[in-house]
Amino acid sequence: MTEDSTPSAADATPNPGSAPSGSGLSRRRLIAGGAGVAVAGAAVGAGVTAGMMSSGAGQSSPTPSGATDVVDLNRSVAFYDQVNQAGIRTPPQRHCVYMTFLLTKGATRADLQVLLARWSAAIAQMVQGKTIGPVQPARPDAVGIDTGEADGLAPASLTVTVGLGPGVFDDRFGLAAKRPALLEDLPRIPGDVLQPGLTGGDLSLQACADDPQVAYHAVRNLARMVTRTAQTHWVVLGFGRASAGPGQETPRNLMGFKDGTRNVSTDADYDRFVWLKDAGWMTGGTYQVARKIMMTIETWDFDRISDQQRIFGRTKDEGAPLSGTKEFDTPDFALTMDGSPAIDPSSHIALAAPENNSGVKILRRPYNFTDGLNARGLLDAGLLFLSYQNDPQHFIDLQSKLGRFDLLNEYIRHIGSAIFAIPPAPRTGEYIGKALFA
Amino acid sequence: MFRKFRALAGVGAVIALATSLTACATGTAPNAGTSATASGSAPSGGSAPVANGVAQVTVTLTADGGDTCTADFLTAPAGPVTFTVQNVDSSAITEVELQSELKILGERENLAPGLPAAGFTVTLDGGQYTLYCLGATPETQTFTVTGQAAAAPTGSTATLLNAGSKEYGTWVTGQAEEMKIAVANLKAAVDSGDLAKAQAAYVQARPFYEKIESDVEGFVMPGFAVDDNQGNLDYLIDMRASNLDEKVGWSGFHAVERDLWKAAKISAATKKYAADLDSNVTKLVDVVKTLTFKPEDLANGAAALLEEVQSGKITGEEEEFSHIDLMDFAANVEGARQAFAYLQPGLDKIDAALVTQVVTEFGNVDAALSKLRDKASPGGYIPWTEENRDTYARQLSQAVLALQQPMQKIAEKVATAQ
Repeated sequence: MTEDSTPSAADATPNPGSAPSGSGLSRRRLIAGGAGVAVAGAAVGAGVTAGMMSSGAGQSSPTPSGATDVVDLNRSVAFYDQVNQAGIRTPPQRHCVYMTFLLTKGATRADLQVLLARWSAAIAQMVQGKTIGPVQPARPDAVGIDTGEADGLAPASLTVTVGLGPGVFDDRFGLAAKRPALLEDLPRIPGDVLQPGLTGGDLSLQACADDPQVAYHAVRNLARMVTRTAQTHWVVLGFGRASAGPGQETPRNLMGFKDGTRNVSTDADYDRFVWLKDAGWMTGGTYQVARKIMMTIETWDFDRISDQQRIFGRTKDEGAPLSGTKEFDTPDFALTMDGSPAIDPSSHIALAAPENNSGVKILRRPYNFTDGLNARGLLDAGLLFLSYQNDPQHFIDLQSKLGRFDLLNEYIRHIGSAIFAIPPAPRTGEYIGKALFA
Repeated sequence: MFRKFRALAGVGAVIALATSLTACATGTAPNAGTSATASGSAPSGGSAPVANGVAQVTVTLTADGGDTCTADFLTAPAGPVTFTVQNVDSSAITEVELQSELKILGERENLAPGLPAAGFTVTLDGGQYTLYCLGATPETQTFTVTGQAAAAPTGSTATLLNAGSKEYGTWVTGQAEEMKIAVANLKAAVDSGDLAKAQAAYVQARPFYEKIESDVEGFVMPGFAVDDNQGNLDYLIDMRASNLDEKVGWSGFHAVERDLWKAAKISAATKKYAADLDSNVTKLVDVVKTLTFKPEDLANGAAALLEEVQSGKITGEEEEFSHIDLMDFAANVEGARQAFAYLQPGLDKIDAALVTQVVTEFGNVDAALSKLRDKASPGGYIPWTEENRDTYARQLSQAVLALQQPMQKIAEKVATAQ
């Protein structure tokens, strides 16, 4: 969760306008979310969210000093002509719907190709706040193409990130030769109590937006257009982003602790740890790991504060490492107080820190989730953990260590898991994964 | 399985050189006051006879028309009292305890027909006590001790709490030593190759760890790093399939459990697991003897045991193969109750209303659990299969939740007591 991944003071610094990659291709356009759909009050505050090119016109009120974490529902995020797919370095939106799919038995290579092309085209429409077709067809017996619930809503920074699972590259579609070099099913990791119904998948959609209905609409419509080719497998409805992009205040997970204080944030770290280089058709892509992590919420809530802080290795309020006083103080794992380590060696941050993992970092982009109540009448909630890394082994190594020793394990269970290759973004007129069919 | 680590110099119970204390002989029992208990079947009138300065009470367990627990005397003079328990033919009654308030002063577990009579001796002051026979009808009977009552506890709240904490340490040591015996029996049964006998011995050995696991959590042996399960006694003794560390492999109770139930076969590996378990439990007992406890350790330990119930037992994670999770549930709750009971004299002075709440909720948990007793099943409760969980887990969870609520407030109160 708060796996410390980047010792960077840059997190603290609002960094408006930073491009999503070192490339000049990363122009992001703000597209008005449908004419005149700037709903009054929709802009929760006004100002700059880092990494997004804000339109001057959208800023009707001055940005209060320090108020960097604002939502402007009129923002949109470009889909075409980027180096990398959106939804990875994009500053985390407030909501996320994550769904995986299984390709049907009869699905062919051509079906898969059509699916990716249709998804790409539809995503390109929806990120602009547009419907994907008529909501109310003219002919009375026709069925609507778009389901309509996002009609009139602003783009809300919607991004839809498409992932390809290991199953795409088995012998069904003749794509084995194109298999991304490091795409394998994750091994069993200590602590895993995975449920088959929440594990794996051939395709994934990560739809994030600042309006939950916009994200839901996207996944719903993408799912319904491909039912002959892909069936829904598992889904998590994420809310309250549990990670921060540059300039965003570090949010909190459902345990009440700040999550992502030391996340990957600099260009150098993205290049080193997230994006694939010299990887053929996957260059500019990455690997996505999804984990559904259930929290034993009631039990956590009954735990005393000193124990909670020991478990994370941070204070709850400020989020400071127990060796320091401020959130962005670099943890000092060697510091002792009264003869004991200030930060418990089995605390979450100590086990996950790059300093203690050969410098390895992964980009985490998690969301909180709740599924209501479980069969025992307890809160069924936790963290939808999403990470991006250019080598899945980085995740495997980190989680293998956490799974064995993390003090937090007492209060969490990894119940869902999947891995996907994330191809680079398509150029205008093309589609995600087109190189597969060349 | 309790996975939080405690570094040797870390928080929690402080390591100190303490003398070894014997299991059963408790110190002076505090004035028991009134115990609301049902009256049992009629014993002989009069007071128990005294032989060699020790009052003698014989408790007989029978199954004639319902499982009953009959003491030949329910009154004894103040001073040492020996309870000798003979199980004639009751398979339902497996445990006899003498309690003062909630505190267990002396007990015998794993009573079964055909075994030789077993006994325990306690030194009692005048007052009312409870003879508790788990699985009998009725379960509790009032036991009266005539003569000088113990002086009401005196001293500051902090003094009372510290005294209770020390007594609790004695109780923990006693449990650890019982565990050592039960695990040695398990090893012998496994070595004999008799599957049924080994399964029975496994069931008998489990409760002790579950009663005190919050006190021995994640003990790392000297010379081992915290990120090396080879030196983590809790892993070596109580690891589960879900947290299997391939670098160390299967070990401990649940490795034996897996073989005895899933494979239903005793192999050379099973014997190795049992031998390692025996050896690691012996090491653990030595560690336990050195522990001393602060009042907040008791409170936090009790809360941690309830966490275990909520997250590990009701979910059926703990005893994945034998499904005796409810027996572990009862043992966790018992451990929590003991920690609480030793704090109670001090806590009464701080917040008597809270004490009442906790006692009430313990009663509700007991009531919810007792509905699931099944004397025909190993461990004395219905097997905790998925089907049974679907039917009964919700009511157990909610009852435990209601107990966790007042329990969480205790640590702060006792830690700051003057």
